[in-house]
Amino acid sequence: MKVMDRRTLVARLREVVGAPHVLTRPEDLVVYEQDAFLVAHASPDIVVLPGAAAEVGTVIALARAAGVPVIARGAGTGLNGGSIPVAGGLMLVLTRMNRILEIDARSRLAVVEPGVVNIDLSAASARDGLFYAPDPGSQGVSTIGGNVGNNAGGPHCLAYGVTGNHVLGMEVVLSSGEIMTVGSPAVDAPGYDLAGLLVGSEGTLGVITRITVRLLRQAEAVRTLLAVFETIDDASQTVSEVIAAGIVPTAMEMIDAVVMRAVEAAIHAGYPADAGAVLLIEVEGHVQALPGLMERIAAVAKRHRPRVLRQANSARERELLWKGRKEGAGALGRLAPSYYLHDGVVPRTKLPEVMAKVAAIARTHGLVIGNLFHAGDGNLHPTILFDPRQPGMLARVVQAGEEILRACVAAGGSITGEHGVGIEKREYMRWLFTEADLQAMRRVKDAFDPTGLLNPGKLLPDVMSSGAQADVKSPAFSVRPRAGLWS
Amino acid sequence: MQELRRIVGDAHVLVEDADVIVYEQDGSILQAMPEIVVLPADVTQVSEVIRAARRAGFPIVPRGSGTGLAGGAVPAGGGVVVSLARLNRLLGVDYRNRTAELEPGVINLEVTKGVAKAGFFYAPDPSSQAACSIGGNLANNSGGPHTLAYGVTTNHALGVEVVLHDGSIVWLGGTVPDVPGYDLCGVFVGSEGTLGIVTRAIVRLMRAREDVRTLLAIFDSMDSATQAVVDITAAGIVPAALEMMDKTTIEAVERGAPAGYPRDAEAVLLLEVEGVREYTERALRMAHEVCTRAGARQVRAARDEQERQALWKGRKGAFGALGTLAPNYYVMDGVVPRSKLPQTMRAVAEIAEQYQVRIANVFHAGDGNLHPNILFDIRVPGALDRVIEAGAAILRACVAVGGSLTGEHGIGLEKRDYMEWLFSKDDLEAMTRVRLAFDPQRAFNPGKIFPTPVSCGEVRRAPARIPEGLWI
Repeated sequence: MKVMDRRTLVARLREVVGAPHVLTRPEDLVVYEQDAFLVAHASPDIVVLPGAAAEVGTVIALARAAGVPVIARGAGTGLNGGSIPVAGGLMLVLTRMNRILEIDARSRLAVVEPGVVNIDLSAASARDGLFYAPDPGSQGVSTIGGNVGNNAGGPHCLAYGVTGNHVLGMEVVLSSGEIMTVGSPAVDAPGYDLAGLLVGSEGTLGVITRITVRLLRQAEAVRTLLAVFETIDDASQTVSEVIAAGIVPTAMEMIDAVVMRAVEAAIHAGYPADAGAVLLIEVEGHVQALPGLMERIAAVAKRHRPRVLRQANSARERELLWKGRKEGAGALGRLAPSYYLHDGVVPRTKLPEVMAKVAAIARTHGLVIGNLFHAGDGNLHPTILFDPRQPGMLARVVQAGEEILRACVAAGGSITGEHGVGIEKREYMRWLFTEADLQAMRRVKDAFDPTGLLNPGKLLPDVMSSGAQADVKSPAFSVRPRAGLWS
Repeated sequence: MQELRRIVGDAHVLVEDADVIVYEQDGSILQAMPEIVVLPADVTQVSEVIRAARRAGFPIVPRGSGTGLAGGAVPAGGGVVVSLARLNRLLGVDYRNRTAELEPGVINLEVTKGVAKAGFFYAPDPSSQAACSIGGNLANNSGGPHTLAYGVTTNHALGVEVVLHDGSIVWLGGTVPDVPGYDLCGVFVGSEGTLGIVTRAIVRLMRAREDVRTLLAIFDSMDSATQAVVDITAAGIVPAALEMMDKTTIEAVERGAPAGYPRDAEAVLLLEVEGVREYTERALRMAHEVCTRAGARQVRAARDEQERQALWKGRKGAFGALGTLAPNYYVMDGVVPRSKLPQTMRAVAEIAEQYQVRIANVFHAGDGNLHPNILFDIRVPGALDRVIEAGAAILRACVAVGGSLTGEHGIGLEKRDYMEWLFSKDDLEAMTRVRLAFDPQRAFNPGKIFPTPVSCGEVRRAPARIPEGLWI
């Protein structure tokens, strides 16, 4: 295959999307070498910001002709390094495709471009009393395209499910540059569920250029309860028993002592700074149904020595309670210069034992770990606080993180609840899947992307030669040094 | 055949015409004879059977209970039918994490029966639930009356063990939310046996609701009944079920299995809400008001379990009762956005007139999932062709308003040639690539889902006999 030279490719790209939307200077590219996976980076060779699906198709066809990898990127808030161009190549930044094309209130769906910011869709549909349910912590910045790529969750997943439960269909550009439509606004689209397949595929199968999502009707009423416990174990037991009692709150979030102290210092959300853990429990529904539900939840909590049980009395109080949760990660900056936010998931019933293990791992490695997470889903976010300037620190942090995920898997859980695999966890996939399982996934990858140019080095571990042992001892984030693909 | 006998034992390989004829049909109007029927007992046997059949070059057609309505289990190209009926064990239930692990031959209703005492249920409830198997439900992504509130099978399938074309056994999905990697469990659900054979599944269990309330609303026009459906959801009520029956169906019900529906009504709507008592009472009151505003002649709420059962009796007996109107029927399964229900129902009525056929409508109105049943007499020359043309016209009308070819019955043989109405060449090409990634020789259930230019010579159309007690 005759490989197109860089200059020719750049010139063609400029013709397709317009010169201002093709970035090639190092000072422009540096912005795109990292996402929210703070421990790795790699520079793309070219950044292209297309304005329409047809442009995306042409750009991908050109990249394929040039033999250059294509990495799709939304707002770059991903936590697994999924948008880091580990092998260099052409980065497709979809933030210009940010139009809400349609809101159909009667059929309760919206059609959006991938660059629409998550919260903007809920804001636009609020007029009709509707909202878009998946609410990742980054919803003020992250894009729906990125959410779909990672099958993003959020605090309210407990009741409403993850992104995949809300995507009805999409338009996607394949590695050949062809444009395809999958799914349908009607239930149970015939044929294979390719929309479901593309959700969570982390940009490895195609580039999504339009998405049809389900909108939900806003609940008539919301109640929020803050429960403060002496120990994280009491809080974990409460979570398990609330669910066992047949109650499904819309959210059930846990914040531990480390995070609580940071939050109090930063924004004064009214969390007691010396308690062991707080639970934020929210229920939604019809006005008459909520007081009874709240009483039942409180009765469960009372069995576990709560220090405080407080209901928000107004929308303002509710917002304040949530503010502590939503800005928890940011507040951690007060405690250490950097953090590594993990994402594991365990069966709800195993929460108490796994939380105890996380604490033990922190002690063994002499690290401070803060926990703020979606307790109702059993979705942990142990956040390791550290100072990257200390020699040997990063290796210890990565080691501790790996042990946490091993503990999750050992308890019957998984290596990610909502952040995805990316480069961060692709080697860990071997803990969960046999080589035959992974081979089935690779066959699907090859079916969609035979040349392997779409987001290479992500999601799936490389084929293991027979007899070789999986080696995930060393951090698996090997990325290309900063040098051009053509150099 | 020798090898198959060695794998599963003599008694579980059927080859005589008298034996295999039982497997030539499912719940559709299509038939084709299998060459061999094998009934393996476990995953190892399934794997060996697949290897043996592939070595001999036979296509493989998986089959559950054979209640499918789209011909998905009909062996269009002959071959080996692999019946999973003997893999019927409920392997384990984890109440705390709300999951059940089971084999594909387990009958749908048995799952709920098995966990009901502990206060749980398995949500997907296809109308054939007393006979159909979980494996068949997974293959067809089955729905049911309560799909409106709880979703279809794919929303309740967490993981599956499958045997692929080379006999390898893999696990797809798992018990945690958002399993990493590609959602291949989701790809398998609804793949109609074209990618492999499911040998074990982990499904979600749901907690039984505190309270259930049921209401029957009687309308003098189909238009106001369909409008009521649109208004109910617009009012923010999500019923657990919202079922509609038209005048023709009411007539059949009152002849065959009387439920006290007024014969002169144009449509009845059966609505059910579930949840905590505070909610159900209010939701029922709101639904009552909406129906009245939409022009309901009468609204009855069941006061106790006995009355509730009486209201459902008509709906559940409707299909069987159609036999009082005509010797044969052809059940269609289209779906439209709920807001297009009124206009689509008018289109169905026009098609009935145009093709000179009688159509009884009994369906999941809340989902916009239509089941027009075309009544006919197979003995009248030309009747079957007219029926099939009318059916195609109905599905075209569904697609034209943004709907789809099937709400819950699948594509199978029946609708494979209609797939082109919905999908472009590129779309179908992408699906084909997925198919070939799993099944490079198209060994599994050939001739299904994908449009085929040449029609299969082996397939015959047979009139559907109306089975006792079947309700769709």
